[in-house]
Amino acid sequence: MIRTACVSVVFAVLVIVAGRWLTHDFAVWTAEGARRWQVQQAPVVAPPIQLQTAALGVQPLADLLGQGRQVTVLSFFYTRCPSICLSLGNTLQQMQLALQQQPPAAVQLLSVSFDPVHDGPHALQAYSRQMRADPALWQFATPVDAAALHALLTPFGVVVIADGQGGFDHNAALLIINRQGQLVRIFDDTDHEAALAFAWHLVQDGGGG
Amino acid sequence: MIATFHRHAAWAGLGLALLLASPPLRSLLEARMASHMLLQFPLLMLAGACLAHAAPPALQRRLAAWNAHGIAGLTLAAGVLALSMVPRLLDLALTHRPTEVAKFTLLMLSGAALHLSWRAAGTVLQGFFLGNTLPMMGMAGWLYGDAPVRICNAYGFDDQQTVGLALSWTAAAIAAVWLVIATRGLIRAESAQQTGEQAP
Repeated sequence: MIRTACVSVVFAVLVIVAGRWLTHDFAVWTAEGARRWQVQQAPVVAPPIQLQTAALGVQPLADLLGQGRQVTVLSFFYTRCPSICLSLGNTLQQMQLALQQQPPAAVQLLSVSFDPVHDGPHALQAYSRQMRADPALWQFATPVDAAALHALLTPFGVVVIADGQGGFDHNAALLIINRQGQLVRIFDDTDHEAALAFAWHLVQDGGGG
Repeated sequence: MIATFHRHAAWAGLGLALLLASPPLRSLLEARMASHMLLQFPLLMLAGACLAHAAPPALQRRLAAWNAHGIAGLTLAAGVLALSMVPRLLDLALTHRPTEVAKFTLLMLSGAALHLSWRAAGTVLQGFFLGNTLPMMGMAGWLYGDAPVRICNAYGFDDQQTVGLALSWTAAAIAAVWLVIATRGLIRAESAQQTGEQAP
């Protein structure tokens, strides 16, 4: 009976240790929660990839992120998206409005399509017009090829799956990239006010860390 | 005869485990949340149970000395089942190889532990185990079914709702089946006592 009790306690302790590891000390229960937690603990450097933009041809990601001058609110979408990207689009329109009332060029918006096959420069331009995007504040781009797309989505923890109707589901969110080109925080798109406040905080901090 | 049966169980457990670990079946079952959680998980436990069934009696006796009334085994199984309800596990198992290996190992171990412990536990301890595990399963089912957003990044919303409903119904079904079996056992024991015979 003593032996059984000892083994049971060992099993229980092992399960708790595994549970703590799986949930970051019982703080997160989903992969999305873990992604946000991990980014907050250790910033993720933006990969050196090339993107096709709506209006400026092919650009390195570092240039699109403002090359050390700007904090970027990055989000992912695809132009054929029927639902969630539209609500994300509305959110970004509101953020653009808020940015237009602030001193220019400190915080910018960048929307990246994860569907390079359909979203060439023309589709991106049309989408930009549809969103009434101000090109000085809000840019649209897509990785130049599948390898670049993979290199971008993987470190940032963006998961795109087929929705069974020819479209995609994805973990839509607002990704804050500091001036050093590091992903430092992830917000829900419904939390856009907090996201902007955090971006401004990075601007005022100077370092952007 | 018994030896043959044990050999069959060994081959069945080994074959099932290898089949489940084979890349085609793994991707097929893990492509959808429902088959990942409601088919692959129980099949892994079944494979573990078959292997435990095939274990030599001497080994089973040695294990039993560390597993009085099946308590250690049920503790392990309850813990592993609790871990397997964490939504992050489903996503992580797809992208993180060590997690996938741990998931396979632990689910097979918990199946083996259940097989080696269930009878020894008796009705009271079985009821205690189920009283912990099934409400947890029902709660997970309710959370999956009721969540307004996708909980797993790798799986769609419809899939998640199917899993939620199925988890709740599975928990209810297991409870009902166990109740019938436990009640029948009690009635038999009672009538055996009344006729002065030994319970079967």
